[in-house]
Amino acid sequence: MTESAQRRPVRPLAVTGYSIASALGSNRAEHLAALAAGRTGLGPPPFALPFQTAVGALPFEPPELTGPLTQWSTRLARMIAHLVQDLDEPLRRARARWRPERIGILMGTSTAGAESTERAYQAFVATGRFPDRYDFLRQHTFGASLHVVAELTGARGPAWMVSTACTSGAKPLASAARLIAAGMLDAAVVGGVDTLCTMTLHGFESLQALDRVPCRPFHKDRLGISIGEGGALMLLERDGDGRVLIESVGETSDAYHISAPHPEGHGAEAAMREALAFAGRRPEDVDHVNAHGTGTRLNDTAEAKAIARVFAQPLPVISTKSYTGHTLAAAGAIEAVFAALAIEEGFLPPSLHADPLDPEVKLNVPTSVTRGRFRHVLSNSFAFGGNNVSVLVGAP
Amino acid sequence: MKYPRVAITGVGLWVKGFPTAKAWLAGSADPAAEKPLGTALDKVNRRRAGPLGRALADVAAEAIAMAGADPATVPTIIGSSIGEAATMIGLLDQMWRKHEPMSPAEFTVSVHNAASGLISICNKNRGMTTSLAADSDTPAAALLEGIGMVLTRGTPVLVACGDEPAPENLAGQAPLWAMLASAIVLAPPDTSPRLADLELEHATPGADELSPAALPPLHNPRFDALLVNNPQIGLAWLVDAALRRATGSVPLDNGDGRGYLAEVRAFPA
Repeated sequence: MTESAQRRPVRPLAVTGYSIASALGSNRAEHLAALAAGRTGLGPPPFALPFQTAVGALPFEPPELTGPLTQWSTRLARMIAHLVQDLDEPLRRARARWRPERIGILMGTSTAGAESTERAYQAFVATGRFPDRYDFLRQHTFGASLHVVAELTGARGPAWMVSTACTSGAKPLASAARLIAAGMLDAAVVGGVDTLCTMTLHGFESLQALDRVPCRPFHKDRLGISIGEGGALMLLERDGDGRVLIESVGETSDAYHISAPHPEGHGAEAAMREALAFAGRRPEDVDHVNAHGTGTRLNDTAEAKAIARVFAQPLPVISTKSYTGHTLAAAGAIEAVFAALAIEEGFLPPSLHADPLDPEVKLNVPTSVTRGRFRHVLSNSFAFGGNNVSVLVGAP
Repeated sequence: MKYPRVAITGVGLWVKGFPTAKAWLAGSADPAAEKPLGTALDKVNRRRAGPLGRALADVAAEAIAMAGADPATVPTIIGSSIGEAATMIGLLDQMWRKHEPMSPAEFTVSVHNAASGLISICNKNRGMTTSLAADSDTPAAALLEGIGMVLTRGTPVLVACGDEPAPENLAGQAPLWAMLASAIVLAPPDTSPRLADLELEHATPGADELSPAALPPLHNPRFDALLVNNPQIGLAWLVDAALRRATGSVPLDNGDGRGYLAEVRAFPA
């Protein structure tokens, strides 16, 4: 445990609304239906690739942004606009409660506008010219979409994009907790978004990290990840009638390797222990872990060791990446929403494609629906750079 | 709107010709200081790092040393508007122009948080590190995240911001800028010794509070136009003010941001 975990610097925040989009659908109801049916969203890539892999592509195309937002209308920004629209009602209530400058926008992305840039660059290579519509500052930069969120939400508080690769969607929850605890904000729109990019797929292929079939987290023969796209937003408020609570967030580093996790999962363990310590919870208070569970040999083994050291009880551990794919910067936010769904709906989906389980994974990984009362759920996210985040979601 | 006061206990700076904050304060340019060396990184990770990662590691090390903070525990916040854009363009070139297999080593350091990862590895820091962006408001965003950390954890926090020049062919009509990296260690208010006290302020149109700019504005003409165009200039201005033991109001963006201001009050040396 890190030194700072001895303090309890944050208080639970009310999640007064959330929205979600992934290969499973465009809203909460579609996700719930897919998870309950054990139906994966993974399938063939929507564009040609010189290698075989499965991806989790959005089953819908968010509409172009119009009017003054036209220049910002990347696929990423369009997905964000869709998510904001789905959060409209709780946002309206929040705007009535809090001053605009007391509502922050704290989000995460790893690809940012890379999808637009790679298409523009492809055109440049072919023709010697960038498309007239391409605008680096409004379409490529990590912060560009913040303008879209501010315009659509009316939030005028501090705004930034976290970009810590695959923990980017979980870390904004920690930022919001800090700023609200420090009296700097009353509410925040938080979450993570990423879109499918050719470059990302080629990059993970270069690392030999892609499975040829839909990913199989914790399976004995798993060979890697399936990349997905999507996003989730949560509206966090200082207090109020939350559907669930964000009780705490643990953040640590492996300080081990730029792209490989520590083989014993020490950083992952520290993140989980820090989340528990910040919330004043004991391991036995936790009912379920939504694992990072990417499907790579290294990640799943290391994470399983870490979870087994933290929890003596055989609590159910699942990976939902076999449904959505690894949505990179969106994963932490999407899986925090899945943690919320477990608490609200009282069921866990089967951990798809996990059977037969890797004998090194000494965890209870259910491969059929689990029903029960889940009061506290941990959601793990780990990333390049040895970046680890564990989010503790609680019942109100 | 004003944000809570914190202390500044250390600073670091890299601009071409001035590889440290101390060199900048001394004012004599070193023509040999063309590129950041990354001396704060070990050999393996120095090879991995691009110019931005090297510069951020060096300014971070300078600020941590000045503050007397523990590099193995200090929470670290890295800010950059475009991150490793140059590395990404190299990957696109491999893919679309050269039709070569992508370099896995290059891919792993193309992420925005490459610098924060490398710094944490080299410092054996297993605590919190993050990496964020907010275009020209990145310095303000990183400082606000840092202030939140200081106030909730009660420990010093490192904030380092930097940007390489935007890739010329991609940036199109965007203003050119020169590379710049700077760092600051924030600490709980009234920490002693300290360089200065810091309060961030944001004037919100239509709100009751107005930006009073009660303190005289600070301006150092040694920052030329190419540096001023860099989205991270705000943190460098703040570093410069703290180094000079100046008291006044420092804009945290170059006019393209939302108008965050830093009020800095020198602490007697």
